[in-house]
Amino acid sequence: MILILLLLAPLLTASLSYAVRRRPAMEAVNLAGFGATFLLALLLGRQVLNRGAVSLWQGFLYADHLSALVILLTASVALICSVYAVGYMREDERSGALALGANGRSTHFKLRKYYTLTPLFIFALLLVTVSNNLGVLWVAIEATTLASVFLVTFYGKVTSLEAAWKYAILGGVGLSMALFGTVLTYYSGHHLAGSDTLAGLNWSVLASHAGQLDKTTMRLAFILALLGYGTKAGLAPMHTWKPDAYSEAPVPAAAILSTAMLNCALYGLVRFYILASRCLGPDFPGGLLLTFGALSMGISVPFVLVQRNFRRLLAYHTIDHAGIMVTALGVGGPLASLALMLHMIFHTIAKALLFLCAGNVYQHFQTDLFRKIKGGLIRVMPITGAVFLMAILAIIGMPPFSLFQSEFLILRAALTNGHWLSSALFVLFGAGVFAGALIHVGSLVLGAGDEPRPAAWHPWRHASMLALAAILVVIGFWLPAPLFELVRGAARVVTGG
Amino acid sequence: MNEFFNPEFGNKVITLTAALVLVLQIAGAGQRWIVTNIRVFGVQSFLLALIAGAIAVFNHAPHLFIAAILTLLVKAIAVPIFLERLVDRIGIHQEIEPVINAPVSVVICGGLTLVGYIVAESFYQPEQTSGPAALGHNMLAVAVSLFLIGFFMIINRRTALTQVLALLSLENGLFLATISLTYGMPLIVELGVFFDVLLAVLVLAILVYRIRETFESMDVSRMRRLQG
Repeated sequence: MILILLLLAPLLTASLSYAVRRRPAMEAVNLAGFGATFLLALLLGRQVLNRGAVSLWQGFLYADHLSALVILLTASVALICSVYAVGYMREDERSGALALGANGRSTHFKLRKYYTLTPLFIFALLLVTVSNNLGVLWVAIEATTLASVFLVTFYGKVTSLEAAWKYAILGGVGLSMALFGTVLTYYSGHHLAGSDTLAGLNWSVLASHAGQLDKTTMRLAFILALLGYGTKAGLAPMHTWKPDAYSEAPVPAAAILSTAMLNCALYGLVRFYILASRCLGPDFPGGLLLTFGALSMGISVPFVLVQRNFRRLLAYHTIDHAGIMVTALGVGGPLASLALMLHMIFHTIAKALLFLCAGNVYQHFQTDLFRKIKGGLIRVMPITGAVFLMAILAIIGMPPFSLFQSEFLILRAALTNGHWLSSALFVLFGAGVFAGALIHVGSLVLGAGDEPRPAAWHPWRHASMLALAAILVVIGFWLPAPLFELVRGAARVVTGG
Repeated sequence: MNEFFNPEFGNKVITLTAALVLVLQIAGAGQRWIVTNIRVFGVQSFLLALIAGAIAVFNHAPHLFIAAILTLLVKAIAVPIFLERLVDRIGIHQEIEPVINAPVSVVICGGLTLVGYIVAESFYQPEQTSGPAALGHNMLAVAVSLFLIGFFMIINRRTALTQVLALLSLENGLFLATISLTYGMPLIVELGVFFDVLLAVLVLAILVYRIRETFESMDVSRMRRLQG
């Protein structure tokens, strides 16, 4: 029951947003809708903790600890971003950014587009995590692309079209591979009894007799699924759409793209990894994941080092972190799986916060190039500047913050399992990204600027940013016990048992 | 009548149609005109619907009829008509400008077909005389070839609309793989996939239209603003 409500909440939000035409009403509907989604996600988490996996309609919808964790993250990001979006869209309307490329349509049309497409996007993301059927999972992931394409073209600029085209075509090609992988997975269990029904494609069913699946087919299926969902997660070398899409979409949407959507793509990968490792043993899928992980971390280093645009910098950072999480998955074992889940939480919080800060800076200066801002952010926008610096320190893994813990755990697990090469590359690329990000953001925030034009206090944008910053600080020292239970449960889903 | 419904005969019909689908795919890859390309895609989808229908009759898999009808309505009729209207509306009838010229493309497609057969060979289980695997051998080879040629077409083409067509024919390869390997996916998944394909065509068409408006061209290789 709760699963249906969870899906209905954003769907209802979207249709209501479309129906009410006034801006304050759309804002209220979105806030209320995402608030409700968040509460439902909390409830679902509690239910999963108390009673184990929840399922509905003979296992058509299914949520275990892993799903509940990803759902909780998606719902939290959606809520924070919907608060932020109120301030962001009002500022865009005031500064005339919404009128750009509107082709004579009113700016109101764009507001409506944003407030309708975002809940649809969140709906698709939630559907990914509650569908047990691998085919429906694919349909939902494809739907996330379709719902978010027009968020990328939101400002109607020449560059946004280019970004959206790349996003749509690469996403389409990648996901067609994932569909092929799904078909082959279905086929790999086809010789077993009762596989001809709808349940034959259910993940929980396939996972329970993973040992009997056809090995040749499963091997090919995993490769295709990795390429497909890896494209969606932005693993190198299929990452090229990422910086473009993130820098063209409105900032709150970009924050959702780089956190919640990344988590969902990884979620799909994790599900296939579990099937493949139970069928073929952990070495085959693990080796592939480690390769893609190292490649993604490596490719982001030069781009972070020479980056001129701070939103693209954040995008390359996301590619780096996708690489880190895939590496953790590839290492396998209880410790690395635990670290993976922790890293997913910490990265989601820190990256969403970074995007919100970047949005504030972008709207104040009307540019996202380091060159044009020159530095001195801390004097112009003291609050945003300080939070920005803190968040970047957190995400590159400085010790007091939580990402240090999770990255350290991943490294420890990799060394214990004897992945020397991966560990060495992990440290090397980590150092590169560390240096690059710190230099750029450090000089942006601390450097000598020339125009002390203090920014005003914007309640919506600052409040949501500060709330997220508070969570980031607190979670570095104290992880609530139920949340940690959920994390441990999710890690157990990966390792089995 | 009994003679007609014997699976042996059905197998031959299905394999022959699959071969025709492959020929059409290669013809599409070497083809220079957009409108012809759309029609080739339409005919190819029609043949796929035939194959799905034939499998449904000969191998007693009635749920495949729904997939066959959907393919006929969506991919063989609705999408081609929609795309031709789009072509009319944005007024482009010029040639596709492939990166690699037509004769070389056809040779490459031949090579990809060979790769398709090699991949499919590893799935061939002669001991399994009944069920999808027996049928799957040749069909899977064709499906993998369609898939690979679709990839090649996306890389080889520069204009937005032709890339969409390539993506669609790649999707056709997938459909062939599902019906030959497992007699189709569960119905709800099949419906979801069709819905997504339809939506994707719509979304991509809107993008094509806006790219044409903004760039005065559909050549996506001219979109080079975003780098680094």
